[in-house]
Amino acid sequence: MVSIDILYKGLNMKMLQKSIQNKENQANGTPLVKCLTECEKGEEVVVLRVNAGRNAKTRLANLGVVPGVKITKTKNAPFKGPLEIIVKGSALVIGRGLASKIIVECNRACKN
Amino acid sequence: MSCHLPSNKSKNGKSNKNTINIALAGNPNVGKSVIFNQLTGLSQTIGNWPGKTVEKMEGYLDFLGYHFNIVDLPGIYSLSTYSLEEIVSREYVVSDDVDLIINVIDATNLERNLFFTFQLLELKIPMILAINQMDLLRKRNLDLDFKELEKIFKLPVLPLVAVHGTGVHQLLEEAIELVVYRHPHSHYMRRRSKASSHHGHHYYRVEHIHERSDPKVNIQKTFEFPNLFEITNFGKEVELKISVLIENIDRYTQKFSSCNYPSRFLAIKLLENDSEVLKIFTENQEGSRIIELSKGYREQLEELHGEDINTIISSEIYNKIKKVVDFVLITKAKKNVKRTTVSDFIDHLTTHSIFGYIILLLVIFGIYFFTFSIGDFLGGLLDDRFTIWSNFIHANFGENNIWVKIIWDGGLGGLFGAIGGVLVYVIPFFLVIEILQDSGYLPRAAFLMDRVMHSLGVHGKTIIPMILGFGCNVPACAGCRIMETEREKKISVALTSLIPCAATMTVVLGLVGRYLGFYWILILFIINFTVIFIVGKLLNKTLPGQCTELIMEMHEYRVPNFKVIIKQTWVRSKEFIFKALPIIIILGIVLEILLIFNALEPINTILYPVTFLWLGLPSITGVFLIYGILRKELTLVLLSVLANSLNSSLIVLLSPVQMIVFSLVTMLYIPCFATIILIAKQTNWKYAAQIAILEVGLAILIGGIIRFGFLIFSGF
Repeated sequence: MVSIDILYKGLNMKMLQKSIQNKENQANGTPLVKCLTECEKGEEVVVLRVNAGRNAKTRLANLGVVPGVKITKTKNAPFKGPLEIIVKGSALVIGRGLASKIIVECNRACKN
Repeated sequence: MSCHLPSNKSKNGKSNKNTINIALAGNPNVGKSVIFNQLTGLSQTIGNWPGKTVEKMEGYLDFLGYHFNIVDLPGIYSLSTYSLEEIVSREYVVSDDVDLIINVIDATNLERNLFFTFQLLELKIPMILAINQMDLLRKRNLDLDFKELEKIFKLPVLPLVAVHGTGVHQLLEEAIELVVYRHPHSHYMRRRSKASSHHGHHYYRVEHIHERSDPKVNIQKTFEFPNLFEITNFGKEVELKISVLIENIDRYTQKFSSCNYPSRFLAIKLLENDSEVLKIFTENQEGSRIIELSKGYREQLEELHGEDINTIISSEIYNKIKKVVDFVLITKAKKNVKRTTVSDFIDHLTTHSIFGYIILLLVIFGIYFFTFSIGDFLGGLLDDRFTIWSNFIHANFGENNIWVKIIWDGGLGGLFGAIGGVLVYVIPFFLVIEILQDSGYLPRAAFLMDRVMHSLGVHGKTIIPMILGFGCNVPACAGCRIMETEREKKISVALTSLIPCAATMTVVLGLVGRYLGFYWILILFIINFTVIFIVGKLLNKTLPGQCTELIMEMHEYRVPNFKVIIKQTWVRSKEFIFKALPIIIILGIVLEILLIFNALEPINTILYPVTFLWLGLPSITGVFLIYGILRKELTLVLLSVLANSLNSSLIVLLSPVQMIVFSLVTMLYIPCFATIILIAKQTNWKYAAQIAILEVGLAILIGGIIRFGFLIFSGF
């Protein structure tokens, strides 16, 4: 789980409230906001925010990784390598360092 | 610099009246190169964009009385400044050279492909949307409403199955229709009227500025550009700011007239803080004022949305696209069930945490084996021929005739050496690369190796040229152009140049493998890879900047297209033959001249401290190592020649330790000459020289350590 402080950085009020809400959910054992690296294989999540540098952020945005978009994590490379997600029907490989800066929210529809 | 003076194309004799210049644009892997191949056949040439390390594919064809010049732009995802390819592409597209863009779109990945289309729309160039891989889409029980698409974009939209050639010629018919009949103020028509009138260049230039800067004039009755405000509307707040910026830009049109970008594109890019567009505007005072204005706007918008501007705009575009796609996508049957295909299975296997690495090793071995066995076979045939002809020439003209030496031994010897020693390896190698690239394996290797490569300061993509390096370092170094930043390119070429190529392997196999056994080959390899690791670490520390993260699309596997592979192999080999061979021949002549005047004899003396005293090799090897710069396997060839002339064998000539040291030095000491040239092309000459010196230093250092290590251990 990412520490909540990191999440606050640069988040606007709406997201802040969401995070607080999530913190409460977390107490019940259902963390909803996390970074992409923490997701399970095959989990479908919604992108909340990309906390990366300008270049990487632009690139990701151009490829469709923007807040609000649904992505599915499909692969984890061995030895803490990159991971693969499906975004808008195409597979994208993202380095682990960058993936840890992508904050996602677990879809409410999915169980955990 | 992103500005273009109108280039006067008519200097190129062919392109005057009936020439239509087309740019093929689209995402990577959408079948662009297949379409390009079908259109141009064997007329294609491959080169670099002027002054850039980006590949330029060009070709032509004649159809219905028109001459089509077609440029295949690099596959890109957007028109930002993320990579050099994007900058080159957008500069070219807006230049006067382009009459029409054919935007190739992958039907199975509509949303992401249309993102690029939306960006191209902003450039206001006549465009055709070619929707490729319709067969795959229909297989999924989906279809597209082409009429609606045409209505939305107000552009011709054509279905295509490029692999079967369906729809490719309709593209050209549509192109003629669009450029010649429906868009009378296109570059094409301007060129035509210019050819038939006496007006000077200047007049048309003025007209051009006027036309581009005023959108109302630009929209003709017969040809309608899509209403950008309607299609690519970024939302009220953003549009308001863009329109103010456009007003400001238009007011000072004369100041920025040297660039062909439409004002709206400039305004958006200003908001996005695009470094290339900023350069245009910083040139004068008004520009700086507009930059200030856009900066204020950007901050306001980012404050308002709580996101950075690129994300805001991209989100808006993707929202629009979602609406468009929902509207035009027709679902024929009920929800299609996703099943595991062969492609998925191979994908799973090649990215598996155990099998993935095994397959990677097999692929590397395969590349090496294929390149080596075919190259060795053909090279052997050629060498035999050359020896026979050589004996004939020497017998007829005298062996010591100075001209025979220079022209035959030097020039033609160099040529045969280049063909027999390099080209025969390079061609099969190109074939393997093309197969690997077309099938879609290489990104999997990058996926598996990303973690390891990160410790060397580059991301996983570097493994792609490095894998290719096992075949031949020369094209592998050229392949380093896929790296996005200058820093990564520099590290990549250095690492790639240290990979033992097929030619180096002949030396190692022929010397160590033959006389000392497999065990020692393994040790040499371990040393070689340790050196690669050290160099990577060293460069990572010394080169300024940071390691960027991997962002890469993983395409599905597909059966390689045989025709495309053969054509690409030919085009690449052709480039190599015309560009690299002449240099090798000239070098051969120079070396021969040096030999005639005994200029190389002092080299042995100069190198004596290094070769004999430090490395413990016979001093004659100094000259061999110099030859090895030209072709690495020459070191072994010359050694064998020496052994023959002394009526002894290599095992008598060299002790086991000397063999190991000699092989190791050959592996590491310097990239071959062609590789150095390509390193310089990818980076610069200074860097190429630095790499060469670094590698020589390392080779000498490690060779010496091993020699003395043996001395000490055998002493005990």
